[in-house]
Amino acid sequence: MSEQVSQILVVGGGISGISTAVEAAEAGYNVTVVEQAPFLGGRVARMNKYFPKLCPPACGLEINFRRIKLNSRIEYLTLAEVENISGSSGNFDVTVTQRPRFINDKCVSCGACAEACPVEVPNDFNLGMSNRKAAYMPYEQAFPQQYVIDEHACQKDSCGEACKKACKYDAIDLSMQPLSYVTKYKSIVLATGWKPYDASKMDNLGFTTSKNIIANVAMERLASKNGPTQGKIVRPSDGKEAKRVAFVQCAGSRDENHLAYCSAVCCLASLKQITYVREQYPDAEIYMFYIDLRTSGTTYERFLNTVKDDEKVTLIKGKVAKVHEDQSTGDIIVEAEDIMAGKKIKVPVDLCVLATGMQSTLGDMRLPHEVKINENGFMVEDINQPGIYAVGCAKDPMDVAKSVQGATGAALKAIQTVRRSA
Amino acid sequence: MAEQVIKPDLDFVKGVMASGGESLKKCYQCATCSVVCNVTPDDHPFPRKEMVWAQWGLKEKFVGNPDVWLCHQCNDCTAYCPRGAQPGEVLGAIRKQGIKEYAAVSFLSDLVGDKSKVALLFAIPAILVALVISMAGNWAPEGDVIFSKFMPIITIQMLFTPALLFGVVVAFLGVKKFWTDMKQANGVSSGDLKGSIIAALTEIVSHKKFQTCDVSKDRYISHGLVFFSFVALFITTAIGAVYIDVLHMESPFYLGYGTPVKILGNAGAIAIIAGVVLMMSNRLKNEATLGKGSYFDWMLLSLILTIGLSGLLAELTRVAGIGTMAYPIYFIHLVSVLALFLYLPYSKLAHMFYRTAAISFIKYSGRDSQSPEVAAAVSAVATGEPAEEEQTKTEQSS
Repeated sequence: MSEQVSQILVVGGGISGISTAVEAAEAGYNVTVVEQAPFLGGRVARMNKYFPKLCPPACGLEINFRRIKLNSRIEYLTLAEVENISGSSGNFDVTVTQRPRFINDKCVSCGACAEACPVEVPNDFNLGMSNRKAAYMPYEQAFPQQYVIDEHACQKDSCGEACKKACKYDAIDLSMQPLSYVTKYKSIVLATGWKPYDASKMDNLGFTTSKNIIANVAMERLASKNGPTQGKIVRPSDGKEAKRVAFVQCAGSRDENHLAYCSAVCCLASLKQITYVREQYPDAEIYMFYIDLRTSGTTYERFLNTVKDDEKVTLIKGKVAKVHEDQSTGDIIVEAEDIMAGKKIKVPVDLCVLATGMQSTLGDMRLPHEVKINENGFMVEDINQPGIYAVGCAKDPMDVAKSVQGATGAALKAIQTVRRSA
Repeated sequence: MAEQVIKPDLDFVKGVMASGGESLKKCYQCATCSVVCNVTPDDHPFPRKEMVWAQWGLKEKFVGNPDVWLCHQCNDCTAYCPRGAQPGEVLGAIRKQGIKEYAAVSFLSDLVGDKSKVALLFAIPAILVALVISMAGNWAPEGDVIFSKFMPIITIQMLFTPALLFGVVVAFLGVKKFWTDMKQANGVSSGDLKGSIIAALTEIVSHKKFQTCDVSKDRYISHGLVFFSFVALFITTAIGAVYIDVLHMESPFYLGYGTPVKILGNAGAIAIIAGVVLMMSNRLKNEATLGKGSYFDWMLLSLILTIGLSGLLAELTRVAGIGTMAYPIYFIHLVSVLALFLYLPYSKLAHMFYRTAAISFIKYSGRDSQSPEVAAAVSAVATGEPAEEEQTKTEQSS
């Protein structure tokens, strides 16, 4: 930890967290970002494109990483988690534990350790659709640009020496131990983000029964150049080009049995993903099944209309409630009622994308400090508990644009607390 | 789009909501229900469209509509409903409204469907039975327990036969009207009536639709038990009637426990109790996912359970020679059976008529098998051509 006195703690290093940190730091306040993954960027780093501009998130992340790198007021801890928060507004005592990276700052990210590493495990960055080594770079653009050794996968005793020998820079240190810090902060911003709702919980949507039924987050990886298929959208079962694709909206969202609320982004995410497929295969046919298309705001509405105008895209009002694989062909049969026609239909497709919603990570997290959580698992800022604020999807399901806008507000709230307690 | 004035019938909406469909307004028309339903035909899927009709009070849409009667109350729709709108319960409530609509002597409908009138509901058959016993029977017969001393067989026949006849005639008239409405509403003028009824009965006996229920799989067993015990007990009673009235012989029930008629009767009694208890326990067990069932629903279950239990207990106490218990239990048995007969066309039991008619009708109208039109519509969607014609039709009609 630096000698500088940190003032604001940001929990979570995704787009909301780093935006908050940058905003506060550039206004002259000292910020610490605590991120549990070995890299910053969170869910956004896994996205192929943003809607509605269809530009790559890599671009915005790069700018933010540069702002972090150049700003001495920002300190970030990866592989770190907040263990405990005590005290109150203006005077919090925070315990942070940091898991060992086993690779020190001497790393020049040459990749020799990964080459030497004999252990292969499913790559969580690609949602298990590819493998990685136990010594790995989370993804090409990862920040910090530093390899990491997966403490659960690494077989230290049997091959640790080979790994060490492979590194010319003496960057590997398998003896690293977890660290614990206790620091004072004046205010805290929770940017704990979201996770995709577990699609296997919807037993009627067949997620566990076929590889060709995927979640929307997996589609982002399939379409990404740095994804498991180098950006080629194919069926996971046999690599066949996915030219007939069904998008199943509200897969778990607006459903009392799952997520009772609208996840706010899935309609636009699917419309965006439709453009991925249509761009790749000019003859591809798309079926998007929805209850309502929620694309509020002029730009989003315009985006919907653009996709709608594509004659290869069929939007069907009616929620898909049964999905299964045709065992002989690997095709996926999606069943819905075409409400406007008043008929039940079965549509065979190559790939079925479940538009799963955003679930708060706060709900099942052991919270280091008591915060008010609403019935949907998102944080409610409590007027009786100043000093702790929420930003992005810790607060509500929302898209990147709104998260970033909110980050400016969250930074200001955090700054106000710092000023008041000064 | 053709202009259409919608005239909501608010009383109908209130009626549905008051009789088990109180969750109706929660529906947001996602159509999950129509998709998870394994009983619905693909070309006229229910219950999504019924939900919006009921919300809007479009009562006329239900006149002559066989679809609500094709529902077998599996409640898969309710289990998967994302809003807790309980389409299964709503459809039950709509059927109740249909029963009420088609049965003559409407005050009896109100009596059967209204929880607050339950005392009167049973007072009527109780007074009738009590009157007959006071006039022609004996409230406390001496000696061996013989039920005909309590209420002579001839008086039972004089009371119960007209009661059953009344029930059947009212039900028949209701079904006749329903059938005419179905023909009119669906524009069907002719068909193979006999063949359709036979096909419908075959389907009903097989219970194959119940086998397609996903969440409440054991409904196949419970409904089957109750259904076949009704058949068994009907046969038993019919044999008795033939012996006494047609052959003028002594009741076959004196012939001893080893005789087929006695075995059938007792097996029926045990099966009916088992079936109803299974139905009740399933409803309680699945209350959270499938709904608790309406008063109308529980009324019939309770009545059948009372008949089964009182019948079996009356027999056991009679054999044991405990007159002080046997006669009162037998009295309950008589009252509950009379209630079943009298209220046949008004209670949920009337489903046996209307559901048979509806299943017969879809066979009669040729709607049972998926029509070529539908196959075309499906492939149109599947090839990306919007089924424009279909859409226009729906828009015009909605």
